[in-house]
Amino acid sequence: MNQVEKSTKTARGTVTCDNSTMHLLKANDFVAAAIRKKAAAENFLLLNITSSAGSGKTTLLQETARRLGDKINMKILVGDLETERDADRLRSVGADALQIVTGGICHLEAQMVWQAMEGLNLEGLDLLIVENVGNLVCPASFDLGEDYRVTLIATTEGDDKPKKYPRMFLTSELLLVSKVDLIDYLPFSIDAVVADARDINPNIGVIEISSIKDIGIDEWCNWLLDRVAEKKAAKKEAATG
Amino acid sequence: MHEISLVRSVFNTLEAEFTKEELQNLHAIDLKIGLLSNVEPALMQNAFEAVTSAEEKFQKVKLNINLIPIEIYCQTCDKHTIVENYKFACGTCGQPNNNVVKGTELLIHQVHFDN
Repeated sequence: MNQVEKSTKTARGTVTCDNSTMHLLKANDFVAAAIRKKAAAENFLLLNITSSAGSGKTTLLQETARRLGDKINMKILVGDLETERDADRLRSVGADALQIVTGGICHLEAQMVWQAMEGLNLEGLDLLIVENVGNLVCPASFDLGEDYRVTLIATTEGDDKPKKYPRMFLTSELLLVSKVDLIDYLPFSIDAVVADARDINPNIGVIEISSIKDIGIDEWCNWLLDRVAEKKAAKKEAATG
Repeated sequence: MHEISLVRSVFNTLEAEFTKEELQNLHAIDLKIGLLSNVEPALMQNAFEAVTSAEEKFQKVKLNINLIPIEIYCQTCDKHTIVENYKFACGTCGQPNNNVVKGTELLIHQVHFDN
């Protein structure tokens, strides 16, 4: 898959490398492109959900599956270093979820998603959500072939996170500020976190949510349904136009 | 982030691109690493030493790391700005801008061979 052609240059003196062949994450980006192509062919939306550990990704996806389970055909891939616990939690609410155990690797790579996708029936799929390993650093550098990246920050974390982890916020389409039901008990400013994030990414969308108190969940689900509809419409247009 | 696997990726890339004989004459590798790549140069050097000594290859090769600042391009002003303190705004018009043109690099830029 990642076959590199032998250089025709003579390896003497100084050789300046071609950026397209000497990118260190090239193998990942190659597979990510294959995933993107597959998602286009099968006509489903692919989301990559990232955050620190414990910010509420799985709880949000449980609630999402409860609400959208009978409206659209969605599946979830969930990455963790060990255990099947998150996939079990998602299945307990009726979601079609598959666990990716990374065995100590701190992020998901495109190859892992590709392999997991081979175990899924993609026919008629509308939405595939990939829940990344809880980590704001490494997952930022690995393209999984997603249409959009969505990042959560919980009010129980610091509101200074975006500038500490700039690449993640630079590449995210949407910021979900989670656990907002706890805001009165915490020294966390939603305005500050949004200002910090928009210094890096002026176009980032923001939704305030609480999965257990049902705040902002409708707005989030509508955002998802709109993105799914957009992708389907683009495909239809390409087919007829 | 995971500097050991990046060092291995450097070696795999070079081994795919050049022959064994050619690589015997390799004496330096220049990497371009953007500030947004989440790679720490000191850890990269440590990882390089660890992998070369553990795998007993490329031991006489020097690793040079060029850090690349974050640069954005504003289409309205046709100007480039170096981003400092992660404030992504055009230095000329002040408008927010995240059109990053440099700073995400993770590349082998040059390799230097004897003779």
